[in-house]
Amino acid sequence: MAVASGAAPAVNVFPFRDVRAAPDPVLEAGPVAHGPLPVPLVLDNGSFQARAGWACPGPDPGPEPRLQFRAVCARGRGGARGGAGPQVGNALGSLEPLRWMLRSPFDRNVPVNLELQELLLDYSFQHLGVSSQGCVDHPIVLTEAVCNPLYSRQMMSELLFECYGIPKVAYGIDSLFSFYHNKPKSLISSGLIISSGYQCTHILPVLEGRLDARNCKRINLGGSQAAVYLQRLLQLKYPGHLAAITLSRTEEILHEHSYIAEDYVEELQKWRCPDYYEDNVHKMQLPFSSKLLGSTLTSEEKQERRQQQLRRLQELNARRREEKLQLDQERLDRLLYVQELLEEGQMDQFHKALMELNMDSPEELQSYIQKLSSAVEQAKQKILQAEVNLEVDVVESKPETPDLEQLEPSLEDVENINDFEPLFSEETPEVEKPVATVQPVFNLAAYHQLFVGTERIRAPEIIFQPSLIGEEQAGVAETLQYVLDRYPKDVQELLVQNVFLTGGNMMYPGMKGRIEKELLEMRPFQSSFQVQLASNPVLDAWYGARDWALDHLDDEDVWITRKEYEEKGGGYLKEHCASNVYVPIRLPKQASRSSEAQASGKGSGASGGGASEQA
Amino acid sequence: MEAMSENKMVPSDFSTGPMEKAARPLPFKDPNFVHSGHGGAVAGKKNRTWKNLKQILASERALPWQLNDPNYFSIDAPPSFKPAKKYSDVSGLLANYTDPQSKLRFSTIEEFSYIRRLPSDVVTGYLALRKATSIVP
Repeated sequence: MAVASGAAPAVNVFPFRDVRAAPDPVLEAGPVAHGPLPVPLVLDNGSFQARAGWACPGPDPGPEPRLQFRAVCARGRGGARGGAGPQVGNALGSLEPLRWMLRSPFDRNVPVNLELQELLLDYSFQHLGVSSQGCVDHPIVLTEAVCNPLYSRQMMSELLFECYGIPKVAYGIDSLFSFYHNKPKSLISSGLIISSGYQCTHILPVLEGRLDARNCKRINLGGSQAAVYLQRLLQLKYPGHLAAITLSRTEEILHEHSYIAEDYVEELQKWRCPDYYEDNVHKMQLPFSSKLLGSTLTSEEKQERRQQQLRRLQELNARRREEKLQLDQERLDRLLYVQELLEEGQMDQFHKALMELNMDSPEELQSYIQKLSSAVEQAKQKILQAEVNLEVDVVESKPETPDLEQLEPSLEDVENINDFEPLFSEETPEVEKPVATVQPVFNLAAYHQLFVGTERIRAPEIIFQPSLIGEEQAGVAETLQYVLDRYPKDVQELLVQNVFLTGGNMMYPGMKGRIEKELLEMRPFQSSFQVQLASNPVLDAWYGARDWALDHLDDEDVWITRKEYEEKGGGYLKEHCASNVYVPIRLPKQASRSSEAQASGKGSGASGGGASEQA
Repeated sequence: MEAMSENKMVPSDFSTGPMEKAARPLPFKDPNFVHSGHGGAVAGKKNRTWKNLKQILASERALPWQLNDPNYFSIDAPPSFKPAKKYSDVSGLLANYTDPQSKLRFSTIEEFSYIRRLPSDVVTGYLALRKATSIVP
């Protein structure tokens, strides 16, 4: 697909990989899933990607999560066809043709469309090989947003307990699970987690192993805003390639060719210098094909083509003339036979034949015979002429205009080629043009390259300077300072010793250095701090959740069972080291279409806001 | 684990409808499940859409929170106190100048001539990127 650039030494030219996702196989659950106790399923429900897998106990903690897929679904192309239904994640292959039909259950980082969430869960369960009838018989660990709205948790619990019949559920925060995975388990740790995901960035202070939710802050910027910003920048710079700059390609540029500048202003000054620019610009090569541009065909090639077309037409005409000749010949023979009948004196047969032929008298027959025979003679002559002309054409290399002019009147008589006449009359004047036009040679590849220069640092910078895209919120550095200032000095010191970076949007080269520089600027002179990046910022949340599940399998204080869900309502949450803070406010039970039948079926009460006890 | 049929929330009359998929039902789920949230707050045929985040947050605000309770909207980061730096719309370098005609920011003379030759949709695009398109002329 992508054509490498031309003869000159191509520095920094990168093709787009344009990866297509392969559809996931339906995995067999295997013996791991059927232990003595039901094995927990760990599902990291992210707005960018959902990761699902088993938490298998035993010596081998197990490989990566079995399933990783984009959290999107779309109907197949061509509108709502009957059987296909919506496809999920990796079964979609390439996302670009379906870009406008992609739907995600998430709105920012909260799942709001539970129907689509149901589809994603179906996909996960099906491909993990869940085979139990009537219910999913495994406890589930699910990640949720920081300070998840009670409504959303209620909807999610309802989906899990009532639709899938899950025995017990634990909710947690993905960044906290990731923190849990990266810290030695024996320590009860405090620290400051900066977690940057697809939709938003959180700053989470953790004190004594427990999240201090009152002082968390969230900035509503993440990987998706950076991708959209980069896409708009490139589209405005290259308005001709509007359609080719797709969101998937900008995500690829963001993941592979962007970095965070340690000092933004200084880095920009470096980019001013043309040599630095030349060395560091990344030229993204868009796929192109030279056949699209008609001007690459020289006029000789065009003439060649026209010659071929002419020749083909001539052959076609010759064939048709021969066929017509044959038909006429046959008809002539029949008529002559009838005439013989007359001459032989078989009057009855003659008259019958005349009636079949729709003629009234022998004279008419005679005249018809004469006309036909003259037509046959003419046709034979024309065929001979055309053959002679064809031979003349073949011998010469270029068609000269006199030949064509000779052909034209002979061809005009034949009715069949009336449609070809306009073509022929068009052809002649163009053939007369001189052939010596030289096509300007330019590097086609260069025309299809996107020069990504300062955009490499501008797009990821938005989480530090939201004013780049007009957001009023403060950036990561300023919010970090704000959060730290809410604590007394000794707690600040404690928190800053353990700054932890996690989340997919933290994977830019240079991110750690930037955070360290920002901390250096805001901390008192000669105080120390420690910044650590997660070992695998994308998957650590899943690993952490799995480790947590294995450690807390028997602990009844952290799992929400179905009975508790029914008694205490959908918003109920049991707190643990990696969870949100539970505020016991009862949500009014959502009335569905048949409210009366439902109210009688459920054990718990349905109405009113609950009493607000302090947590 | 007991079978799900007794504990259905909704009677089976409502199992048909937009919830059922055309594909064969998956064995591990209850085929008669209906989301209660799909009807919205009003139990009727009118509200068939899911609430989006803004609506959810609006209804959450109405709940009886205490002053210090953490909830989704209370942990929003505050607006910035520091003045924003100005960067060129075209190249991203520090911009000292603004074009009075189109309100785009630029840093060098070449950028200025580039800006003056831009079609108006590209100009609006750059301004919209910064959320600087003015509604009031």
